[in-house]
Amino acid sequence: MAAYTVENKETKCSCGSANVALFPCAGAANVGQISNKIAIALEENGIGDLMCTVGIGARAPGLMKSAESSDRIIAIDGCPVSCASKTLELAGFKVGRQIVISELGIKKTKGRNPKDEEVGEVLEKVIGILQSE
Amino acid sequence: MKIEILGTGCAKCKKTKEAIEKVLKQTGVEAEVIKVEDIEKIMSYGVMITPAVVIDGDVKLAGKVPDEKDIRKWIAK
Repeated sequence: MAAYTVENKETKCSCGSANVALFPCAGAANVGQISNKIAIALEENGIGDLMCTVGIGARAPGLMKSAESSDRIIAIDGCPVSCASKTLELAGFKVGRQIVISELGIKKTKGRNPKDEEVGEVLEKVIGILQSE
Repeated sequence: MKIEILGTGCAKCKKTKEAIEKVLKQTGVEAEVIKVEDIEKIMSYGVMITPAVVIDGDVKLAGKVPDEKDIRKWIAK
């Protein structure tokens, strides 16, 4: 289902529809790496804009201002430790929707390179969740 | 004072530049206004959505056209 071409995405112009910011945890586990791939795929599907979660942790001004002007924030966490959500909340942002990859049928492991089929299955579930809202 | 307006040339970027120039004119504050369209330069500020306003290296706003009230606050010394 998903084509995972990781390429440089241009900074988005905010002209047009509502801004949805996607913050994956990108953690050091299979589910963390899946969260990043899911965020990229959601962006490719026009659902939102991938943003740097560590930039929020660092309070990088450009990232903070970009998040502040987002109409909705979606945190994509790999596991229930919820680092992406907590990072955003500690920085004062309201997380509009949290997705937890390990709650979508994926067991957390030390894997670094999730299979495309696995990512594709999770992506379908995530899109289903977001569309049901 | 150096004011950089980050954006790739969209309508909101143009409005941002107009708003800043209007306030500068009204207040008499002198500033160098630069339109930054180079995507690498824009991303070097960590800005993910444009338009954005950077004053003397500080990102003041990203993703929307600034209010005149905010611009006045930023340029006040």
